[in-house]
Amino acid sequence: MHSILAVDDSASMRQMVTFTLKNAGFTVVEAVDGQDAWEKANSRDFQLVLTDQNMPRLDGIGLTKKLRDNPRFKSTPILILTTESSDEMKQKGRAAGATGWLVKPFDPTKLIEVIGKVIR
Amino acid sequence: MVENPAAPEPPGSVVPTLMAADLQDHLMTASNDLDRLQRLLSDATQTLMTHFHDASHHIHDVTRRAGTIPQFDASPLQKALLDLGGAVTALQFQDMASQLIAHTDKRLRSCADRLARDALADDGDEGAAVEPPPLRPNPVTQDEVDAGSITLF
Repeated sequence: MHSILAVDDSASMRQMVTFTLKNAGFTVVEAVDGQDAWEKANSRDFQLVLTDQNMPRLDGIGLTKKLRDNPRFKSTPILILTTESSDEMKQKGRAAGATGWLVKPFDPTKLIEVIGKVIR
Repeated sequence: MVENPAAPEPPGSVVPTLMAADLQDHLMTASNDLDRLQRLLSDATQTLMTHFHDASHHIHDVTRRAGTIPQFDASPLQKALLDLGGAVTALQFQDMASQLIAHTDKRLRSCADRLARDALADDGDEGAAVEPPPLRPNPVTQDEVDAGSITLF
């Protein structure tokens, strides 16, 4: 069973993401911000990271950079799920090493489709 | 509010003191109302989420039990789960609304601070800290709770 690290500082968003992913058969571990995610990513294996962008302590792009700097996460798909929709921010995400950029709110069916495309 | 409207204008002030005090009062009232709206949203969302998850667990539980009953038609339960799933997109409103409110609140407070510093400053208050306005535009540009775009790099 694939394990996904879901990162968002909004409790309601974490609940919606977890509900959607668990119903699709994934195991989900939640993190409340980028720093929490970084610590959890180093404690077990994940097949995908789904992260918010705007968070305290460490944002989604910062988390992506940290993960990509570590050879262990070089090929782990990282999707940024955020309210930010500007091309400038998308390019920053791409430059940091993100696999994809999803603008909130997400549609559960489409989210699962995208994850199915990028997960190994 | 201003205790002594007849007090001389602070040097360099372009807004009359009484007007500045009134504007600052309105800004702080609006900011406090936004804080209250934030708490209302958070409280309502927590209740919605609790009921959402309870309903989901009950449906899963009944589906599991029904699996042991021969010829039980589980399709209404599957339909109920699909209906719950359909609410997932709309239930993300709190995250967007919360960011929008926080951004606007920060802008209002910054304006109120600037008024206090520039138009209402007493002697010795001129160096008072002013909360800076948000540097970036509001990250929430959505007008409705429709599913957002997906870009794969």
